[in-house]
Amino acid sequence: MTVTIALPSKGRMKEDASAILERAGYRITSVGNDRSYRGRVEGRDDIEIAFLSASEISREIGNGTVDFGVTGEDLVREGLARADERVEFCARLGFGHADVVVAVPEIWLDVETMADLGDVAADFRARHGRRLTIATKYWRLTQQFFSGNHGIQLYRIVESLGATEGAPASGSADIIVDITSTGSTLRANHLKILSDGVILKSEACLVRARKESHDSDPVVAEIVAAVRGAL
Amino acid sequence: MPLINLPAFAPDLLAAFESLDTERVDTPVIQPAEPFLDIAGEDLRRRIFLTQSETGESLCLRPEFTIPVCLRHIETATGTPKRYAYLGEVFRQRREGGSEFYQAGIEDLGTRDFALADARAVADAMSVLTTLLPGRPLTVTMGDQAVFEAVVAALGLPAGWQKRLVRAFGEQSQLEALMLRLASPEHVTGLSPEIEALVETGDDEALVAHIDGVMQATGYLTNASRAPKDIARRLKDKLALAGASLDAAKLDILREFLSLNVSLRYAPGVLDDFAASTGLPLDAAVKAFDARVAAFANAGVKLSDITWRAAFGRPLDYYTGLVFEITMRGDHRVLAGGGRFDRMMSLLGAADDIPAVGFSLWLDRIEHAIEEGARA
Repeated sequence: MTVTIALPSKGRMKEDASAILERAGYRITSVGNDRSYRGRVEGRDDIEIAFLSASEISREIGNGTVDFGVTGEDLVREGLARADERVEFCARLGFGHADVVVAVPEIWLDVETMADLGDVAADFRARHGRRLTIATKYWRLTQQFFSGNHGIQLYRIVESLGATEGAPASGSADIIVDITSTGSTLRANHLKILSDGVILKSEACLVRARKESHDSDPVVAEIVAAVRGAL
Repeated sequence: MPLINLPAFAPDLLAAFESLDTERVDTPVIQPAEPFLDIAGEDLRRRIFLTQSETGESLCLRPEFTIPVCLRHIETATGTPKRYAYLGEVFRQRREGGSEFYQAGIEDLGTRDFALADARAVADAMSVLTTLLPGRPLTVTMGDQAVFEAVVAALGLPAGWQKRLVRAFGEQSQLEALMLRLASPEHVTGLSPEIEALVETGDDEALVAHIDGVMQATGYLTNASRAPKDIARRLKDKLALAGASLDAAKLDILREFLSLNVSLRYAPGVLDDFAASTGLPLDAAVKAFDARVAAFANAGVKLSDITWRAAFGRPLDYYTGLVFEITMRGDHRVLAGGGRFDRMMSLLGAADDIPAVGFSLWLDRIEHAIEEGARA
């Protein structure tokens, strides 16, 4: 059986992912020209490479249409319900670091923790005639963190597909949930991360779709061991 | 079009509703999604079936009846009190069972005698279930947020802390976390010396002006979200709250209260003993509780069928008092659930303050129970 590994199709993630696999002993070449979306591993007919966008990778692992993928943990946990039942995070690869965080306007001097935010959210409707709004593209992670971990039910999510960090200043949402690596974009927009507001410390991972056929497949075990050994 | 997948007992159910002096109402299956997400929270989003109108309005398949029935009441403006009954299909993803199923229930809007209305809701639910499941012993679990609120107030905590605890009522782990935190005072960190100095002087206007200045300078609208005066006010509240704590004795009292779990027959006595032994001033709450117990008895509900669990509640801001669930004895499946939701009507935009209490029946579980009974 052929084992398929999905890799990011462009940018730093593509280079970093290819570099790790090469250190693990899998030298990747594109099939056809350089911008092709299919690749192979030199000397290995039993491994196939699919170059996909990062968010497609999490979806395809969830469907089980690919066996492995290299993508950010945030995208997998956002894209898949009950992610740990459906996929296995085999190795954390040490690049693509990004934290998913809850950030509020710096000038909210009274809000430092999620408990503070809970107080603000509870009174919001009475004071402002509407619920507290959160701009984010991370619907699932936000709901789990607010409702599940902190018992905050009463807020509304405003979908944001770009420039999320500008939403509070422009008034299109009160606070945000977004990714940050250095925090500089947040600071430039006068936002601060709550002291207990880190939802997920994400990085690129080797992720495996949980399939029964994998249990008896030596190539699957070999890939996991080789990538872990290359870190 | 006649619905051919209605439960076989639907005619009996409708007859029972009619004999209970209710007005049957129907609501559209396709509903605006906003009120549901606004009232019940974003958590519902994953479980309802959402779509959009051609103009981009967010619509959903009716996930329950209470909100549509309340909205319909506000629109038709027919005055209170009203007792509405409904029976129809709802659409919602559940952990067990299909995602389209029938629900029926009664909503009592605007009855001012709370004890009477509460008792009638429980009695109605019990009588309907007894009609559908004759000879099967039923048991009611009830809770009362009003008693919890009274206990928390009597412990002498600042208002902000009372609100936090009341908000977590019904969520044991959240309550535990709050109680742990209450065991020791906390220090507010993260304030700059400049702000600390401003707060120290007690000059509210200067603090508001400072916040306003920063917002202007950093390009924040001061009227789109929390205004400078909101932030200043809560900052002062928070500094007042931070020092608050409960000594071990009072925390024990709170824990003791939350562990109360007795038959309603003995509940007034137990609550009375609790007030006396702890010395908490709970007279008003005990009186209201006793009045409801008396109303239950008058409504013909057997008190020995009801268990009062002090910690039983729902952590949503529109539930204000009674909550209850009915199961068959020795079975965990909830066949009926309900409670008092006095804040719902104002949240939905009613001009007047309309108290409300109601219950809904899980018809697929009832059907299942009837089948099991027939096989036994």
